[in-house]
Amino acid sequence: MAETKEKSHSDEKPKPRVRPIVRLGIFLVSHSFLVSVVCFTSGVLALFLLPVLAKNTYISENALMPGSASPMLSNHHVSDGNRLVKDLTNSNLKSSETGIESHKIIAKYMLDVGAEVSFHKFHPQMNQFHPLHFFSSPDSGKIQENCSCSSYGINTVGIIRAPRGDGKEAIVLVTPYNALTSSFGEVLSLGIAYSVFSLLTQVTWLAKDIIWLVVDSQFGEYAAVSAWLREYQTPKFSSHSTLNAEMCPDINYLFEIKVHSMAGSKFSNSFRRAGTMTAALVLKVRDQSEQFDDTVSIYAEASNGQMPNLDLINVVNYLAVHRQGLRVNVEKLWSLLNSGWLKSLGEIFESLATIAKSLNPKFKFGIPATEYVEGIATLASSLYYQALGVPTGPHGAFRDYQVDAITLEISPKFSLDKVWCSDILLRGGRLIEGVIRSVNNLLEKFHQSFFLYLLTSPSKFVSVGVYMIAFALLIAPLPMVAASLYVDANSSKGDSSFLFAITDTDEHGITIRSWRWLNSAKSVFIVHLWGAIVSLLPYFICQIPDCSPTTSFMIWVLLSILSLLILNLVLASPLACVKASQEKEWALVKSVTISSVFIGLGLMSVINFATAEIGALLMVPMCLLARPLKLDVRVGTLRSCCRIICNLVLGHIAFPPAAFFLFKGMLDGFGSANVGDFWMWVESLWAWNSATYLFIGMVQLPCWVLCVSILFHSC
Amino acid sequence: MEKLKKKIGSISFWKWVIASVIFRLILIYFPQNLNLSSRPEVSTPLTSFRRLAEGYWLKQSSMSPYAGSMYHGSPLLLLLLGPLTVKRIEGQPNHILYSLVSVIADLVSAMLIRATGQNLQLAYLRTLGSLDLVKQIEGSEIHPSGDVAALIYLCNPFTIVACVGLSTSPIENMAVILCLYGACSRLIPLAAFGWVIATHLSLYPAILIIPVIFLLGRGPDAPPWKLFLQRHQQNGMLNQSKLPPGFSWGPIIRFAFWSLVWSVYVLVLCGISLKQFGGLWEMFKSTYGFILTVEDLSPNIGVLWYFFAEVFEFFRSFFLIVFHVNILFMILPLAIRLHHRPCYLAFVYVAIFSMLKSYPSVGDSALYLGLLGWFVNEFSDMQFSLFLFCGYVGVSLLSPVMHNLWIWRGTGNANFYFATAMVYACLQIVLVVEGVSAMLNHERKLRRLITGKTQDSKSGLLSDSSP
Repeated sequence: MAETKEKSHSDEKPKPRVRPIVRLGIFLVSHSFLVSVVCFTSGVLALFLLPVLAKNTYISENALMPGSASPMLSNHHVSDGNRLVKDLTNSNLKSSETGIESHKIIAKYMLDVGAEVSFHKFHPQMNQFHPLHFFSSPDSGKIQENCSCSSYGINTVGIIRAPRGDGKEAIVLVTPYNALTSSFGEVLSLGIAYSVFSLLTQVTWLAKDIIWLVVDSQFGEYAAVSAWLREYQTPKFSSHSTLNAEMCPDINYLFEIKVHSMAGSKFSNSFRRAGTMTAALVLKVRDQSEQFDDTVSIYAEASNGQMPNLDLINVVNYLAVHRQGLRVNVEKLWSLLNSGWLKSLGEIFESLATIAKSLNPKFKFGIPATEYVEGIATLASSLYYQALGVPTGPHGAFRDYQVDAITLEISPKFSLDKVWCSDILLRGGRLIEGVIRSVNNLLEKFHQSFFLYLLTSPSKFVSVGVYMIAFALLIAPLPMVAASLYVDANSSKGDSSFLFAITDTDEHGITIRSWRWLNSAKSVFIVHLWGAIVSLLPYFICQIPDCSPTTSFMIWVLLSILSLLILNLVLASPLACVKASQEKEWALVKSVTISSVFIGLGLMSVINFATAEIGALLMVPMCLLARPLKLDVRVGTLRSCCRIICNLVLGHIAFPPAAFFLFKGMLDGFGSANVGDFWMWVESLWAWNSATYLFIGMVQLPCWVLCVSILFHSC
Repeated sequence: MEKLKKKIGSISFWKWVIASVIFRLILIYFPQNLNLSSRPEVSTPLTSFRRLAEGYWLKQSSMSPYAGSMYHGSPLLLLLLGPLTVKRIEGQPNHILYSLVSVIADLVSAMLIRATGQNLQLAYLRTLGSLDLVKQIEGSEIHPSGDVAALIYLCNPFTIVACVGLSTSPIENMAVILCLYGACSRLIPLAAFGWVIATHLSLYPAILIIPVIFLLGRGPDAPPWKLFLQRHQQNGMLNQSKLPPGFSWGPIIRFAFWSLVWSVYVLVLCGISLKQFGGLWEMFKSTYGFILTVEDLSPNIGVLWYFFAEVFEFFRSFFLIVFHVNILFMILPLAIRLHHRPCYLAFVYVAIFSMLKSYPSVGDSALYLGLLGWFVNEFSDMQFSLFLFCGYVGVSLLSPVMHNLWIWRGTGNANFYFATAMVYACLQIVLVVEGVSAMLNHERKLRRLITGKTQDSKSGLLSDSSP
């Protein structure tokens, strides 16, 4: 931006000798229409080219050495795991108090293999709205003090101390388990984890402690994991937790029993810690499956589109495919798989690649059309989940503490009976063992491979250096158009040498002209301020008790309009201050708007790339095309008619709720659309502290308002 | 009519002042949520509040405040502000007294800026009068530059952040402004006091002695003699009464005397306060020495930390000299070119040292952006104004995000943050360069008005309009 702007400014000054770079800048700015059309289309094209440009993954960190050792998990350990599965399924039938019973059973099994065991009691916390959460440290959220005894969860934690380690590092294995409504899949995941755990107590190569966390998922898996993590990372030195335990007799009772029945063992009543976490694996087993193979699904997206280090995914992928013969799967948008136009696009790319290959056999960039469609579907879901900013599983809690974590979901081919059960235990267990063994080899934390990437298949990725090009092409027109509008508006009177025009009458003009954008900047600032107010409003609205989503949404809309009017009255009217005093005033407003959108998109691309990309697809054309309707109506040519239609369509689509419903309709069909849905969606966004929420409130909405005000500008 | 307009202007001025103070007070009540005092942009090793509190605590427990390389400020600040770091009022935010002191410092600075700006404007108009240019300027609107500068200083987000973030830069800035105010209104002891305190607190304002000497010797706005000679040559007669006064050495000698008095006073006070802890030498070593040797390489918005983290140890002293001489190199040419506008010279110096100093913070930028307001009339045809504005907004938003990416998320690295620091430095350079060229253009314009007036004016002017 700096350069283009600079260049654009330099052309204001009529110089006899112009440097080539300045001349290039002037050329770009003066042909900004053509350049922006070219840049935008190539940006969109580049986005569709990403699956073709994707590279194969490779293991970047040499220390990992996945699969170099043969797995040590034997049938003996599998039978251990089977025993646990049997006990848990039996206890399931036995009593109503299974919750505590099954935790006792797990703890007993952990103690049997010689691990340290402790219980972690937590109260589920509602997610709260922290507008400033993004910029602060993850633990700055206040901890709720008033919890009732009736609702608490118990995480069971088993720790193996590494015989070769110094206790400063740890690997975490998480298995969600709801003791009240436990499904066979959950029990089986416990079985897998236990068989690995019992193996790891015996091995001599362990250099990092192993923490096995059985998470009580009755309040949601994420809440339980994040509660444990918070306790682990930010120790409380107050007596708050002990007080709570004293207040709740039934929990105390549970702990009493434990201590007595297992006296002399490694059970401990207090919170146990190991070292800093290197990596975390969340293990799940799905009950039914429609797959043709045994598959492992990988979920990696954490909050705000953060991804774990690519090496972790690579290791899992490598071991699952090449050692255990499992199929690896990442999320796809299934609806895209059957779309005809993607298929034909893929065919076009394929044929182009074959032509290129026939010209020069060294050109090898084509991929088959079906693979292309799958790549696009995966890429779209990757973008979608990153843009949402909501973690796709309990692994998201780890990323807040810079721990790389993924969720592995194993879905077996057949329904789970005894024979296949052992098979899954063996293969799943060996996969986990292999991953742990290779993470165990790490000398430093994960840092070699990428953190910023998009997956197009489990073994292909697009790195930040590639996808940023597509984004940069998308937003490149913004500074250029802003500069050309600015230059236009400033030299509207046709006096090119105004800088040095020094007659008495012109003196006034100079003062205004150079800083004339200040007025437009003020109106843009006011609209952005309004955007900030609008994004804060839900915090107050959700304090109203008994409010259905639809009414909340209505209140929100009403309050927003009201606040816009009040701001208009109090500060200045941003929409009307663009008075016809200057004929090109709208151009200045548009120029400043575009600059602010450029800043907003650039900022967002650093915070959450996917949001910025999707936002740019919507906002860039709207910003670039905005032009007072009156002017176009007055001209009445074909071109201006096209522009009017485009403007009206974009003006409807880019309104955030409209965009949401359109998107939802495309995915789920329009039948079930409801006004309250948008509120629910927004609520989920701010509950998860998604930066997307702030982006919508403080960049997209103000931009839309400004563009609409330009459209209806009276000039 | 004119009076009414002025009155409305002053009413709206006070409205904005009150609004900005209220805004600060509101922000002070949410210190935990904002957590500004731990931001690297706000608190440097020199201006950090936490370090001040630490130094005070060390002093209270009879240790040297400079023990452990925590505190690097003046011992006088410890005496004045230290007690405020521990004093609490029941039911109020922790550091409310200290915050109030910062707010008052900001307010006083703004008032001083306003008074100085008014002084400057008077001097400017007087010069125009003596050059018979008043009629030419009459058509154009002259903004009350004092008010504008004070409002820019008060409403600048940088100033607000530095004030609410509990850094000591509001007080350092106040000392600098006190010095300039004293010199502009010819209160020589005050000017000397401001200069000595500002130098004592943050060393770099020492170079402001050059603009202060010009201010005292010549007055705030003295167009070059050449201009007068040119003008009167053409007129044919030399009106002695309208000539600017020559350079007078009297005030400067008095300034030197007072500076000596104040520095001896300050040093004696410091010496008494540090008697048991190694005395003045210890103070020089851990304040000025710390500034000059760039010992602390924790990230800030400057560019030196990154450079000195990378540089080999045996080149270190060489590059230290290079970086510091860089500032000194610019002093002389600027002084020669801008000597007749000492306040502008001071602005440029402040901008340069806040760009090149070893531990810059946004408080320093707040100072020179405030001083920029003095020259609104001269800057009316400055280029790149929108670009600079957008750049400042973009960088000040991007910098915390990059810091977050690096420190909290772990997905970025130091280069991400340093990139914003470099962009910031470039922006400041562009600002200084464009500012200076706008000022030179303005002067060229004045000269052309003078020379063009005698020739038959307007037609000649228009044809002459390109440089």
